[in-house]
Amino acid sequence: MRVVYTQSRRARQEGCYGRAAVKSLVSVLFIAVMGSGCVTVKAHQRGNLAKRAMTEDRDVGELRFSEHARGSREGATGGTGQPGGGCGCN
Amino acid sequence: MRLQLVAAALLVSATAFADGDLSMRGVYYKERSTRVMSPMLDGLFEVGARGLVNAHLLVDAITSASAGSGAVNTKPFTEQRYEAGLGYTQELDGPKGSIIDRVRLGGEGRASTESDYRSYSIAARAEADLAQKNATVGLGGSYSADRADASGSQSPLGGIMLLCKGDTSATSSSCPLDLYNVFATASQIAGKNTVLGASYDLSYLDGYQSNPYRQVPVPALATFVPERHPFYRTRQSVAGSVRHYVEKSQTTFIAAYRYYWDDWHIHAHTPELRIVQEVGLHADASVRYRYYRQTAAFFWREFYPDPTTLAQPYVTADPKMGAFDGHVMEAKLGVFGEAFDLTGRWAGARFEGILEYVIQHNSFGNAVVAHVALTLPFEY
Repeated sequence: MRVVYTQSRRARQEGCYGRAAVKSLVSVLFIAVMGSGCVTVKAHQRGNLAKRAMTEDRDVGELRFSEHARGSREGATGGTGQPGGGCGCN
Repeated sequence: MRLQLVAAALLVSATAFADGDLSMRGVYYKERSTRVMSPMLDGLFEVGARGLVNAHLLVDAITSASAGSGAVNTKPFTEQRYEAGLGYTQELDGPKGSIIDRVRLGGEGRASTESDYRSYSIAARAEADLAQKNATVGLGGSYSADRADASGSQSPLGGIMLLCKGDTSATSSSCPLDLYNVFATASQIAGKNTVLGASYDLSYLDGYQSNPYRQVPVPALATFVPERHPFYRTRQSVAGSVRHYVEKSQTTFIAAYRYYWDDWHIHAHTPELRIVQEVGLHADASVRYRYYRQTAAFFWREFYPDPTTLAQPYVTADPKMGAFDGHVMEAKLGVFGEAFDLTGRWAGARFEGILEYVIQHNSFGNAVVAHVALTLPFEY
């Protein structure tokens, strides 16, 4: 089913939601980081943090293909801290 | 590749495995009108005590009927895209306890070429551990020089000519596009089993951003006209994630959210949840769900009923510029060689299989993606 929106209104709404989302995200991260600033986890307590799923559960090749595929099918790419490759979507 | 991954790989390869990893992966992607087969090779090699080289090679073999992506008057085509990348990361060696001793610097170059698109990019980044390695912050940037042409439509009678930035008529055979990107990342340990992450990404694109083959339908005139995208675009995104390990069940929960916005009025929300379950000592199984929703670019229309609207400077019917939403569901299984009683370097080899189903509520249609991969540690 195609999703059809009234563009300008939708964009305005999304803009409001977007600003709210950014504020919420920043607030949550600020509280979490400030709260966790009191937490000091010693090296010998980091066994679980060194597990594969806690560091990076997705291989670089998997991530690269996923980013490239989504980039050629979605209007919103970036945010992954990686340089882009070729378009591959012509 | 994120420096966190490099650092983790460096640590793992230095303590548990060997001096390098070689990873072979094959990916199959199929949707209604497009099929992609992509074999790729990734390598990680230690250089000295504090250096790490990463390299990759890949081929995308793309078969497309074109119509699904909005292009018309073109035949089904098959083409290959080749990509190669090479990077280096160095852990600085300063006085013990100094800030310099906690910094990693990295750089990467990448080249991608296909019949009608070439891209060359360079990237640099720095990462530092803070607060007794309870926090990590990173900064980076990249530049990419791209060039697009319409060689896929050439014929003895001539082909599509492009309207490049600054031109008054479509007379160019190819057009450039420059991309500038900066990003910042941060991660914070929030407990023995919890890690928080955040990132911000800003990109600026300057140059030709249309698809030379894609056209816009004008039913009133029973014709099509080439799409025209703006020549400038500023894109931004913020993302946050939480990873939490439940010791009792040996399960990791990963929740992430990303918000994207740009000056073409596209806004996108992407929440994602992954659950990774350890299975015995040598295997893990995971599931992933991702939701995606975006608004349309301010100049997008599915078709242009009124011919006078074509007088506006920008027109497109590109499905990925319209408003739509979608879902991704994925299952993954990873098994180490030790589970099969393999010995030597094969004991540390990792076999991986991924099956993904993508629901796209637009004319691209749904897609199936399958990965198989083998990662082999080695010494040299």
